[in-house]
Amino acid sequence: MNDEIVLQVEGLTKIYRSLFTPVGVKAVDNLNLSVRRGETYSIVGPNGSGKTTTLKIILGLIFPTAGSTTIFGSSIADLSVRDRIGFLPEDAYLYDVFNGEELLDFYAGLFGYPRSRRRQLVDELLTLVGMQANRKVPFRECSKGMRQRLALAQALVNDPELLILDEPTSGLDPAGRHQMTRLILELKKRGKTILLCSHFLAEVEEVCDRVGIMYRGGVVAEGSLSELAGEPTEIVITTSGVGEAQAAVIAAQPGVLSVSDGVVRMTKESGDQLWPVLETIHQAGGRVVEVSRPRPSLQDVFVRAIRQDTVEEA
Amino acid sequence: MTPQLISLIGAVVVVVTLALTRRVWAPAIVHAIPSVWRIAKITVAEARRRRVLQAVVVLVVLILFSMTFFSYLSPGEQSRMLINGGLSAITVFGILLAIFLAAFLIPQELETRTVYAILAKPVKRFEFVLGKYVGALIILAIIVAVMTAVLVLVLVLQDAMVKDLPDSTFNPNLEGVLFAALMNYFAIAVLTGLIMLISTVSSTTMTVISSFIIWAVGSLQSTIHDLAEHADTAATKLLLQVLYVVVPKLENFDFRNEVSNYLHVSYMSGWDALLQGLGYTIVVLILASIFFNDRQV
Amino acid sequence: MRHGKALLGLLMVGILLQTVAPQESIHKARPALFDPNRKTKPVSAISIGPTPAMIAALGGFRTVAADLLWLQAERVWDGGSWWALLPLLDAVTQLDPHFILAWQVYGWHAAYNMHAESETVIDRRYWLARGANILEQAVEANPDNWEIRFELGWTLYDRAHEKKRAAEYFYQADQMPGAKSYVTRLYYRCYEGILDIKDLMPALEYAKKRHTDLAKSDDVQHQVIVNRDYEWWMKHKDDPLEHRRQIVIENTARAQRSVPFYLYPDDPYWDVCPICGLPSKKGSEVCEVCGAPLKAPSQRGPATRGEKKT
Repeated sequence: MNDEIVLQVEGLTKIYRSLFTPVGVKAVDNLNLSVRRGETYSIVGPNGSGKTTTLKIILGLIFPTAGSTTIFGSSIADLSVRDRIGFLPEDAYLYDVFNGEELLDFYAGLFGYPRSRRRQLVDELLTLVGMQANRKVPFRECSKGMRQRLALAQALVNDPELLILDEPTSGLDPAGRHQMTRLILELKKRGKTILLCSHFLAEVEEVCDRVGIMYRGGVVAEGSLSELAGEPTEIVITTSGVGEAQAAVIAAQPGVLSVSDGVVRMTKESGDQLWPVLETIHQAGGRVVEVSRPRPSLQDVFVRAIRQDTVEEA
Repeated sequence: MTPQLISLIGAVVVVVTLALTRRVWAPAIVHAIPSVWRIAKITVAEARRRRVLQAVVVLVVLILFSMTFFSYLSPGEQSRMLINGGLSAITVFGILLAIFLAAFLIPQELETRTVYAILAKPVKRFEFVLGKYVGALIILAIIVAVMTAVLVLVLVLQDAMVKDLPDSTFNPNLEGVLFAALMNYFAIAVLTGLIMLISTVSSTTMTVISSFIIWAVGSLQSTIHDLAEHADTAATKLLLQVLYVVVPKLENFDFRNEVSNYLHVSYMSGWDALLQGLGYTIVVLILASIFFNDRQV
Repeated sequence: MRHGKALLGLLMVGILLQTVAPQESIHKARPALFDPNRKTKPVSAISIGPTPAMIAALGGFRTVAADLLWLQAERVWDGGSWWALLPLLDAVTQLDPHFILAWQVYGWHAAYNMHAESETVIDRRYWLARGANILEQAVEANPDNWEIRFELGWTLYDRAHEKKRAAEYFYQADQMPGAKSYVTRLYYRCYEGILDIKDLMPALEYAKKRHTDLAKSDDVQHQVIVNRDYEWWMKHKDDPLEHRRQIVIENTARAQRSVPFYLYPDDPYWDVCPICGLPSKKGSEVCEVCGAPLKAPSQRGPATRGEKKT
């Protein structure tokens, strides 16, 4: 990851107006974000927070009410920019009468590649997404997972520097989600800059470097996972074979906050007291399973950020 | 002001505008050709894979063959009926197919969101519109060619069957039939462009309904022209003249009467009709591109 | 580019202006469709009634509607409803003014069938006049068609006995491409029939110069007939007795074919006897053949001898 800014969004606002809503519905409200080369940035937020609207504006599919977007320093209207990006739409739907091979050949053709290059690209991409064996299966006969993989392949047809993925694991079963996440990590390893939009926080935690939490059209929190999660707040010792009496003894030790169901919680500052507590557990006949210093999960951060935003608004 | 002078002024305006903007349109056209062609090819391939079009063509072929069962008529009347009925069947089905093809081309892409994957690529929106239009033209050309070939076959077969009869006046008028079918195709092409324009700004249902209305109005071109000539008030005359400019001139391409009655066919009129239709279609496609360019997908 | 849409607008206006001249050419080249003063216009769909033909007549399928109505006319004809044919044929010819056969049948139906069906002279004259009128409309709608002019000429010659008018139409038809040799011969036969020697001889001279391609059998036959007639009339044009003999021959031949005799309304020479059907010199009080009293021309009714329906 370096400091070059690949995608810059400044003051982006989108208000949907119609005959019946002259005042308008604000889908995106003064949004600012930037994505650096090589990083994986994720926009997370609940449904209706404006994630997809933001992506569509970035890609020039819809037009902002105010603000600007630049990719590689230029507007999306510049065709040379589109040569360097790839887009996986949400619930991607491609021409269902064609098979994977034909679809990828078509999309590769839009970049002007000659036939030999297209053939080679199709083979490479189908192998990458694991669709070689099913290359002749028409899109409409593919499972959801296969469709998402083909859709990802079409986004990679021009070997883009910036990949924009909108809900790439939406609708997939756990195996499918796992496969897709592995693919994204592979692309990350290859140095792609990825802008990912998702509401599956677990996968975001796995792949992203930075996260922007969107709520009601704006970014309410932004930063790396560690920045957002903050420092660990306690030490947790998971034990087994500790009865109630022994639990009371352990709870009486200095630095211990609580003992419940075999889980001993200590304050984060009581690191010096760790060994005496472990000894007490051992003497009480218990067995230490695990000692850890957990950070708040992204879900916790997410919920906290939204709650905070709601409170601030009130 | 004579029509020739008006056309000359128009030509001057076009040349000057193009000269002023050549730095914009020249590279745009160079870039557009391969993209338009690719999108046209995929449109054709998609239509070929969908069985509906093929089913309609088979239906028309059956209808054309069934028209040979007017054998109780005299050969002279039979050839007239075959030519008339056959060309009219090609017109009706050609236009129906054009409406249902063109009305769904762009809206369906928007509905199924297949357009996102394309517009995220280095494809300009006007290239997408043009590509869809060219694809539709190719599909319709194939369909009209097949239907015309069947009609010609039917005429040739009938001619072979009756030519040994005494005083047979069966005249297949193949040259006229081919010309009328070609003109018919150009009419369909003009209507398709207009349907695509409407589809860029309205839903599929509204597009289909509007297309039928426009087809009917376009076929009454001569009536509108008459009304405009004989209008009572200046305001009515102006309104009708504007309507006459806006409406697609489908009757220009209608040579069925001349061909079925073995009258003289003016090829020059066909050429003029083509020029007029081409100008109209270019304007319609420019408008479609502008509307689609501004459309939020 | 700045002002992009304005320049595009200008371009579109320029293109639309350019299409004015070709459109005007089309208006001029296809007067049958676009001449605002054209005589025949598509009949109102309402007058045909709620039928498939009406639906076809709306917008662009007038000729198909004409065909459908023509088929209906065929069915009606087979059913024998002669009166019902008239509005059908009227609709067919209005919908497709270039459908020559329909005009021919329509005019013939009025001038022959309806004329023959009529019982009074007034009705007969009405149908004759109507048939001629229909064919005149057909000629106006199809100015380049020889067949319809011939049809009008024949109706005037054969039915109305207005041979001078018929001769004009035969002559016009003969000028058009495709006209057959019998048209040329009928042209002079008109003058022959009314013994208009003054016009007959120039007509014969004219007929001799037509259809001279001796490779075609029709032309050879034409030349044989015309030369025969020409030579005969050159010998007998000043002979009054021969005129009488010629008329007798003609009417005898007619009697042999059981074709009714007709009164020549403008015949300057002869009155026909109502009993024997043979002519006597105009003004005679009794028939020169059978002696029967001859009525004054104004008191004569329709010829009755040998009358048969067509």
